[in-house]
Amino acid sequence: MNRNALALASMTLLFFTAVQTRAQETGKAATTGSAVPKQVNVSQEQLVKAGGDTRNWLHTQGNYAQTRYYPGGQINASNVAKLHPAFVFQTEVVESMETAPIVVDGVMYLTTSYNHVYAIDAATGKEYWHYKHRMGPITTFCCGPNNRGVAVSGGKLFMGTLDAKLVALDALTGKQLWETQIADPEKGYSETMAPTVVENKVLIGTNGGEYGIRGFLKAYDANSGQLLWTFYTIPETGHEGVWAENDATGRNMHRDIAKEKGAFAESKGAFYDKLGGGVWMNPAIDLKERTAWFVVGNPSPDLYGDIRPGDNLYTDSIVAVNLDTGAYKCHFQYIAHDVWDLDAVSPVILATAKGKNGKNIPVAMHGGKTGHVYIHDRRDCSLVRYSEAMIPQENMWVLPTADGARMLPGANGGVEWSPMSFDAKSRLAIALNLHQPMTYHVEQVNYPGGKLWLGGAFKVIPSEKQWGRVAAVNVDTGKVAWKYDTEQPLIGGGLATAGGLYFFGEGNGNFNALDSRSGKKLWSFNCGAGANAQPVSYQVRGKQYIAMGCGGNTQLDFKRGNSLFVFSLTD
Amino acid sequence: MRVRIGRLLAAFFFLLAPPIAHSETSAKAEPCFACHGPNGNSAVPQFPSLAGQTARYIYLQLRDFQEGRRNDPVMQPLAKALSRDDMLELAAFFAAQKLQPNSFKADPERAARGKAKADETLCTMCHLGNFAGQNEIPRVAGQQYDYVVKQLRDFKSRTRTNDAGNMTSVARTLSDRDIEDLAHYTASLF
Repeated sequence: MNRNALALASMTLLFFTAVQTRAQETGKAATTGSAVPKQVNVSQEQLVKAGGDTRNWLHTQGNYAQTRYYPGGQINASNVAKLHPAFVFQTEVVESMETAPIVVDGVMYLTTSYNHVYAIDAATGKEYWHYKHRMGPITTFCCGPNNRGVAVSGGKLFMGTLDAKLVALDALTGKQLWETQIADPEKGYSETMAPTVVENKVLIGTNGGEYGIRGFLKAYDANSGQLLWTFYTIPETGHEGVWAENDATGRNMHRDIAKEKGAFAESKGAFYDKLGGGVWMNPAIDLKERTAWFVVGNPSPDLYGDIRPGDNLYTDSIVAVNLDTGAYKCHFQYIAHDVWDLDAVSPVILATAKGKNGKNIPVAMHGGKTGHVYIHDRRDCSLVRYSEAMIPQENMWVLPTADGARMLPGANGGVEWSPMSFDAKSRLAIALNLHQPMTYHVEQVNYPGGKLWLGGAFKVIPSEKQWGRVAAVNVDTGKVAWKYDTEQPLIGGGLATAGGLYFFGEGNGNFNALDSRSGKKLWSFNCGAGANAQPVSYQVRGKQYIAMGCGGNTQLDFKRGNSLFVFSLTD
Repeated sequence: MRVRIGRLLAAFFFLLAPPIAHSETSAKAEPCFACHGPNGNSAVPQFPSLAGQTARYIYLQLRDFQEGRRNDPVMQPLAKALSRDDMLELAAFFAAQKLQPNSFKADPERAARGKAKADETLCTMCHLGNFAGQNEIPRVAGQQYDYVVKQLRDFKSRTRTNDAGNMTSVARTLSDRDIEDLAHYTASLF
């Protein structure tokens, strides 16, 4: 197929454009409405015990281990058929919704695209206050003006912004307490992730792997906004690594190591400050070992590797750092010298699982864009096992060409940013997958100065069907226990509950509950716009609710909306 | 021609001169009018119209001229004298101006061939329908014919490479005739 025919038959994913925020979104920070009519004060002890808390939803991923598992079972497999909307909250922003609402003692905090925050009554939807971030004149981001939520600690909320700031709000009034510039948005830095707060430290990474940034995880003082430490995901020296020839699963990646070594000697690795490596989902926290666990995104530019010889550490890796200092502890790289953007995004989950000798050990888990769930020994980052592939893999690792080379999975995965859920009783990690056949194209291009820098293109193949798959993986064996296929690729969060349920949404608006042990569909409700946010659960006055944002998704172009649906059982 | 060079030099020295307080952004933009026409409506085929161009594109091009990623003997020194706020203001000013029809007489047959080529090349996936532009992707509708031809040729020969690889990749597939046809088409759009 010649290039033009290919272009005709393809749809590029080059919707990725640097976007200047709409004029109406810039201007003065403003909070309207009234104060929350009760005290809000979340202690560190509450944050630590969130995994067993049925009243509140205090962390984006449910708890510091990030299991996205709700410990209550009032809504369960036997009664979920009676689940109905309790209320619908409409925001004023009709755009991609990825928020995981935080719920504290019956008060819900949710965010929208363009960094709006709402405080509402979590049982009725009554609005208390509405905060709009004062956006700077320059914002640069690839995949939608998204925001995945706030973090809470004490009486404060914390949010990262599209113009690469960290802001602290008074949880009671919505008034801004402080803001600090994390990095320069002009160079492609932006924030869409929710921060993680632990012991008065606010942890946040950065987007920008498509713009030639130098990634990091930073810790800020929750009271003052002062920077406490920075871990750069690209070390100034040593990022060439061990010149790995195979990926984490032992497959050869077709690198020309001799050529790379020559190019590296010539450049002396001086490109470290544009090598990418974003961290754009929450770190998991192991308080006992004083460790923050996270995964690092792709090297820049995505597809053109000649310009960045070496393994490009710590891109495409799981990394552990000291929680108090940010000092490196260990890492494991999945794909060295990635030229497919098949990086590591979905947030790390901490658990206990069988080690190689069959005995239980502390593990860290990650659902990869490759379609594997990886299980690591928390003591040294080593790989204990990887799951069987959850989605089709073909032609791995064919190198991108000017005219395009077909390989599965496509560049979105496998598992994109979608956080997995883990049910310790059933031993199942449940992941949302995409199947999007693509061709990978390379183009030699130098650093374009903060403009989108893919070094080529990913193109979907219109003649090939795309679909999604929920896959449940037994973490002790790596076997897929069940699968549930959907018409469209899946992106967004899932939620497992002690009621034996797994909630997740689809781009067509369906918000579903599956039996979490079998994958059988038990309930569905159509929200009218893409159900691509992150569901959470909580109780108010003894009654369990399930909340899900349905605002569609920019990256996969699912229908936009502005509604948060909250469900409860009919009395 | 001598007059034009004189005006260019005047603009050049104007911008290098010590900063003068202006209450209106238009005062900052006036020196640009020498080449880019009144309010950015160029009457000279080799110079692009800036009126109605996306602000983000103008800003990024000024920055690329300043930092040497885009080469032009006139624009580079001019851009060097601008602060970031100057560039943002100029970008906002020209983006807010109304583009007037240009005087180029497009050949309908060539414009039709250009449209077919544009459809085939999926230009509007980035440039949007009728080449209206968005964010960092420029508006090309109603742009000067000579300027568009030169840019596409420069992308093809890689003498212009500040596009992050998108246009150099696309232009590789275009013949000289395709390029001229496309420029007939975009000049005819309004």
